Amino acid sequence: MATAQAAIEIDELPGAGAGATIHVSGDWTFGALRKRRYRLARIAADLQHRSAKSLRWDLTGITALDDAGAVWLARSLRTAEQIDVNPRYGAMLTQASQGLLVERAEGGLDPLAGVVRVGRAGIDFWFHLRDGTALLGQLVLDLFRVTRRWRDFPLLELSANVYRAGVSALPVTMLVGFLIGVVLTYLSALQLKRYGADLLVINIVGIGVVRELGPLLASIIAAGRSGSAMTAQLGVMRVTEEIEALSVMGVSVTARLVLPKVLGLAIALPMVSFCTDIAALAGGVLIAKLTLGITPAAFLEALPRAVEVVNFWIGIGKSVAFGFAVAFVACHYGLRVLPNTDSLAAGVTQSVVASVTAVILLDAMFAILLRDVG
Amino acid sequence: MSADANSQSDVETVVETVVEVQKLLNKIGEFVLHRELDFEVRAGEVMTLVGGSGSGKTQLVRVILGLKRPSAGLVRVFGVGWDDPSYARVRAARERMGMLFQNGALYSAFTVYQNVAFPLRERGGLDEEAIRAIVYAKLAQVELEPKHADLLPASLSGGMVKRVALARALALSPELLILDEPTAGLDPDRSDAFVRLIKRMRSEYRFAVLMVTHDLDTLHDLSDRVSVLADQHIIASGSIDEVRSVPHRFIENFFGGERGRRAFTAA
Repeated sequence: MATAQAAIEIDELPGAGAGATIHVSGDWTFGALRKRRYRLARIAADLQHRSAKSLRWDLTGITALDDAGAVWLARSLRTAEQIDVNPRYGAMLTQASQGLLVERAEGGLDPLAGVVRVGRAGIDFWFHLRDGTALLGQLVLDLFRVTRRWRDFPLLELSANVYRAGVSALPVTMLVGFLIGVVLTYLSALQLKRYGADLLVINIVGIGVVRELGPLLASIIAAGRSGSAMTAQLGVMRVTEEIEALSVMGVSVTARLVLPKVLGLAIALPMVSFCTDIAALAGGVLIAKLTLGITPAAFLEALPRAVEVVNFWIGIGKSVAFGFAVAFVACHYGLRVLPNTDSLAAGVTQSVVASVTAVILLDAMFAILLRDVG
Repeated sequence: MSADANSQSDVETVVETVVEVQKLLNKIGEFVLHRELDFEVRAGEVMTLVGGSGSGKTQLVRVILGLKRPSAGLVRVFGVGWDDPSYARVRAARERMGMLFQNGALYSAFTVYQNVAFPLRERGGLDEEAIRAIVYAKLAQVELEPKHADLLPASLSGGMVKRVALARALALSPELLILDEPTAGLDPDRSDAFVRLIKRMRSEYRFAVLMVTHDLDTLHDLSDRVSVLADQHIIASGSIDEVRSVPHRFIENFFGGERGRRAFTAA
């Protein structure tokens, strides 16, 4: 199996214009040709100028051939009419030259591409709305069904989800809450000190944290942490056909997979945001003491007077809605994943973006609806 | 120029033994999967590896592929160990082999065309027209039509996935093709057709094959030699008849069972 160099030799027949025999020999493999192919291509290109009829290609000297070599040869042989070839390599050469003939439909510039894009986005949006509504309806139906038949209630999954989305999210959420409490208090203290309105810091931090920041922080972290996990889990289950397996066994995918996630986060998030409130207020108490000299006891005593308790309940209520929204959006995107990796990646990204957007939209709606309360 | 060509052939050494495994010790945790295992695939032959479930066939293939580092022993593919410090040598050895995974392992984000073109593009040195010609030639060889080229793997049937995966494994005209359960999940007709396909490709390209299979018909139709993996090492290696005559419980069960007798008496 010694490698022989690939070569093209031109053997001119006697007499002007009598033509020539071209001897092609050696190893025509990718490895052997890697460096020599430009030189050989030049020789082959020169031959293109000669009348095809006058040339006789003798390929019997080829000692090895692979696809790359066959394609290089086939290109030079396009116009050739007389070819002698070892039958062993004939099939490969024929396939290569046929491969060269296949036209690949190039996606040219479509003048209507913009219109198509907009239309497609519109249709996509419509599908999202339709499927989202269907999922919501299905969840309500499932909820009715499981209340009639408690045996079907996915209690185990529910508690697992509360643990995963709630308890295990506490460290990171509380840390972020604490830091936000610190920053918020510090910045407001700087401003308030100038007007001598030191004690107002309790109002600002109290209302801000309990009514807005606590629930918002908790749900944004939940969207990044639990929401993405939910989408990825459902998406992978789609890729591995586990969703189909569940349906085939007569287990409702929405009741078993979506419902416990949605309920679980709706239950867990108020508790998480309660803990976030505490952490953020702790940060506030600390900074109020350090920058304004308000003692923790004074801070905590003034807090109930500064912040009506209804604000707390608004915060908790919003958390329930946010939890529901995050899990619902995550599951909606998870179930839409197609069985390929691209779609999975896109689904998770879109899910996180959409659920954070949904949370902020909902928050704005709550702010308008409840503007006269608290 | 010629010096360059020589350095190329330095990287691609010509060997008679394509895969060489000597005194392999392979542990998973504390569990010894292979001990004192010797195994080889010679150039141009079809070597079939058989063994009971859990005997570590797949793990042996993973070691040969360099996906798992053995605890001790020598593993050489085209004379190159996967721990070779020369990136060029390892890469050259990799480009001389193709792997057909059991479930195809097609890149799901790529179309059929892109899947087959991928190894060609990674190797470099070919322009798009040549790549296109090779891809369509490969697709034609595995009996797929050009119109299938733009499908995504998710929309292919099981048999088509196998054929696209074979086209991809053979894209670089490898000298060694590794087949993991090539006919698993195919109906008998398709599995016969797949065996015929591999036979035909082999007559054109003369690559060596290392095949893991449970299917006695496939084994019988393709194999030049058989190696039996049991009791942590290769207990027998040779032609089908040589191996069948070795007295061992697994061999008697495997070849002597009802299915075995049918596959071998029919021929």
